Amino acid sequence: MFKLNLKIALRNLWKNKGYTLINILGLSIGMASCILIFIFINYQMSYDKGYKNGNRIYRVVSEWKYTDGNDFHSQGVPRPLAAAMRNDFSQYLEKVSAIQGGGGIIKVNDAHGKERLKTTADVFYVEPDFFGIFDFKWLAGNAQALKDPNTTVLSKKMANRFFGNWQNAVGQSFNYQNDINYKVVGVIDDVPENNSIPLTIVLSYKNYKSKDLTNWSAVSSASECYVLLKKGFDVSSLDAPLSKFLTKYYTEKAPGKESHNFQPLNQIHYDERYGNFAGSIMPMKELYGLMVIGAFLMLTACINFINLATAQSVSRSKEIGVRKVMGSMRKQLIAQFLTETFAISVLALLIACVLTEAALPSMQNLFGAKISFSMLQNPVILVFMAVLTVVVACLSGFYPALVMSGFSPALAIKNKIKANTGGLGLRKVLVVVQFAITVVLIIGTLVIIKQMQYLRERPIGFNPSAIAMVDVPNDSISVQRYDALKQRIMQIPGVKSASFCSAAPSSLNNNGTSFSYNSSKDADFDLNTKMADENYFNTFGLQMIAGRTLSKSDTIKEFVVNETLLKKLNVLNPNDAIGKIMRVSRNFSGPIVGVVKDFNNNTLRDAISPIAIMSHKKTYTAIAVKMDSKLMMQTMKDIEKTWNSVYPEYVYGSSFLDDVINNYYQSEKIMGILFKVFAGVIIFISFIGLFGLISFVATQRTKEVAIRRVLGASTFELVKMLNGSFLLMVFIANLVAWPLAYLFVSKWLNGFAYRVDLSIWPFVLAMCISMFITLITVSIRSYKAARANTIDALKYE
Amino acid sequence: MIELKNIEKYYANKGVKSYILRHVTTSIKAGEFVSIMGPSGAGKSTLLNILGMLEEPTYGEYHFMGEDVTALNERKRIELYRNHIGFVFQAYHLIDEMTVAENIEAPLLYKKISSGERKSRIADILDRFNIVAKKDLFPNQLSGGQQQLVGIARALVAQPSIILADEPTGNLQSAQAEQIMDLFKKLNEEEKITILQVTHSEKNAQYGNRILNIEDGVIKEDLAVAVR
Repeated sequence: MFKLNLKIALRNLWKNKGYTLINILGLSIGMASCILIFIFINYQMSYDKGYKNGNRIYRVVSEWKYTDGNDFHSQGVPRPLAAAMRNDFSQYLEKVSAIQGGGGIIKVNDAHGKERLKTTADVFYVEPDFFGIFDFKWLAGNAQALKDPNTTVLSKKMANRFFGNWQNAVGQSFNYQNDINYKVVGVIDDVPENNSIPLTIVLSYKNYKSKDLTNWSAVSSASECYVLLKKGFDVSSLDAPLSKFLTKYYTEKAPGKESHNFQPLNQIHYDERYGNFAGSIMPMKELYGLMVIGAFLMLTACINFINLATAQSVSRSKEIGVRKVMGSMRKQLIAQFLTETFAISVLALLIACVLTEAALPSMQNLFGAKISFSMLQNPVILVFMAVLTVVVACLSGFYPALVMSGFSPALAIKNKIKANTGGLGLRKVLVVVQFAITVVLIIGTLVIIKQMQYLRERPIGFNPSAIAMVDVPNDSISVQRYDALKQRIMQIPGVKSASFCSAAPSSLNNNGTSFSYNSSKDADFDLNTKMADENYFNTFGLQMIAGRTLSKSDTIKEFVVNETLLKKLNVLNPNDAIGKIMRVSRNFSGPIVGVVKDFNNNTLRDAISPIAIMSHKKTYTAIAVKMDSKLMMQTMKDIEKTWNSVYPEYVYGSSFLDDVINNYYQSEKIMGILFKVFAGVIIFISFIGLFGLISFVATQRTKEVAIRRVLGASTFELVKMLNGSFLLMVFIANLVAWPLAYLFVSKWLNGFAYRVDLSIWPFVLAMCISMFITLITVSIRSYKAARANTIDALKYE
Repeated sequence: MIELKNIEKYYANKGVKSYILRHVTTSIKAGEFVSIMGPSGAGKSTLLNILGMLEEPTYGEYHFMGEDVTALNERKRIELYRNHIGFVFQAYHLIDEMTVAENIEAPLLYKKISSGERKSRIADILDRFNIVAKKDLFPNQLSGGQQQLVGIARALVAQPSIILADEPTGNLQSAQAEQIMDLFKKLNEEEKITILQVTHSEKNAQYGNRILNIEDGVIKEDLAVAVR
């Protein structure tokens, strides 16, 4: 029976090639998009999985609440926290470990003492307990050896790179930061890419040096702390001891109120308030957004299917009648129609697989993630595809099957079934739903494009073009060579100016600190500090609105502040601030000598912070070089050569400020591309569906069209008649879509401090686009119908 | 009123021409009631379609009220039959989704006639055909004869000068058929409407005043019917 069903199904599909093509095309594109989205989400959801104690692992994170309502989050904790917690929480926590990120220069010598390798690399200072929390796979050695200073553990890949072969890495050593030699005491298997802690080089925590090792008020985002909860304890049982802990250690008064939270391991990849060592965050809401888009795509493809199938059912009524007369049960008919749907779904799935494979490289490019469509590696993909096929087949096949199998045999045999029995009302509703989805996506795409353009073109208060940020080492010996470096760089033709600084005016790296203005009392908000020398202002093209720029100095002796700071301090006239004494970080005080016009120190998602700029030679980390844009290529080479001759023992690194700033909006860019692609796909699916439907309506109304022609209707009048209902449906779809789209885009735009005003234009444009495409799609077919030979249609029945 | 000169119609299939009509030359004057007769496949319906401008002859000249139809563009042609020709079909060809009144109104819509005028013409014709009570029914609620009455009413409402009827009684019982034929005769005699019908039935042909006999695409006979 099934074989016969299948045979008839395939014959039927072949008979109606046009509809089959539309069905399969729409379904396969929808399916391919769904599979791609699934693979991506599956990869993102696989982060930080597979640890034995995974559900008991937590990261301690910090939070500051300010009186002005702002709060600030960091994945970092004060450096003494790990030790204190180990002591105070011993009752609840099995293991506590600090992990400190860092980076520097690694030199590996060969057996003869000759330099084999020099490179910069990220390192982690880790306590041995860390490996009690995370069960990494040890290939050689064990974690306990790491309790001694000057020891290191490498990942397999690093060990291979440094020593040729990881098997003989143990016992060898390398030099770090031209300072200490570390002896390899263990090798762990490579940490998979979907991990928030990309361990490659692990150094003994005993070697970690910082002036803040006992300081509870300084937090760096690179100092993280992980804990392993004891079995049988719930994380909420830590609340009471935590509040005691907070009052015990945070004794100093600070503008922000500190507190800590225990963040479950499985949240680290998804919580955008905190960063992580891997630098990859995928907020859950974006994944949900993708899921919704995927579901929408599938839905539109299924709607096509239902519409075409119910529409087609009329032409099959005779077959159904005959089958019923021959004694077929309704169930059997349903089974037969579902077989047909399944055949289509499976065909669509095969094409979808090909499309997925074809689209994968560009997808990997877009997300920068190593996702693969290997069903052997990820059998779950296979499961997903099976489920997808079944769901699609049932969703789109069941209703038409139910309608068709319900035909009365007497009427069906006489061909007396009207298309309306297939639920023209339902078909109309489905088309409206489909187009509402399409219009929402079109509006979303238009707004995203507009916002991105706005971000690109909005003046940010300084000129970032043709500026290279060249890293400089800042140990005490290197600092002494700063003047020489600057002098030599300035001599390079093509260099306009150069400035040592801690960061460019706009940077993701911002330092906050307490301060006081013209009084002995600390202000109730934090000050963003930027260390820079006297050339900072002309290098970046910052504009002064009062006073003067900084004068040459190696230590902090005077400040330039920005407008926002004055606004927050209620100083109305910038000139009033000149000469006022400011005290920063409790140690440094001096007069304000100038006020700089506001510039965006953050991404445009955030508002401008109150800022003070000061000179402090010891804290510079980069030299910003403004170049002649025409000579940039050559100049960059010269700068690198000069830099290498000044710091032969270090590794050169640089980036263009333009690129850095563009990278702020990476996720928006990805979102924009995704929206463009999916909007395109959904428009395509909707419109081939529409084309199928108008084809059907035109066929169904052939006789009416012919009669009307005979009664004297012109082609234009007939096209108008056929198009009318479709245009009306798309118009209603627009009305449905507008409020939904408004909710969605205004929510998205709220994430930006600087955003375009939401005008009516994207909405109107979306309506025009959708109506226009509908008009074209429908007219192509209805024109053909209106021009068709009249007498053929009026032959005797 | 109608002048046909050497009308030919054939379909070329793989180089072989299959003729439907050959050397058809005739003229029909205003006020005539002509029946076209002949066996199946003789080309009766094709001739009627050509006369109704639904098909174009392969060769030949066709003058309708002094205008050369083959030389007209589509718009002009539509204009012509909007104003002068009414069709009646064997299968009635009413629009199923429209009521009787709406079906009758349809040709008036295409003639851009004002709504008041439309209403009065429809009322008038419903009255004349005694189908006022049926005006809000749908075609499938009527008997075949009633449907054909509506079909004729629809053809007449636009006040054509000629009615082309393709086996108007082919689907009807004899009693109903007689009624329809009487109506045609009455229209021809009282309102001087030219009528051209295709029919198989000798009896129906007798209602008219001229019979064209077609065989294998050629007019074999052109007889006048004796006035009864």
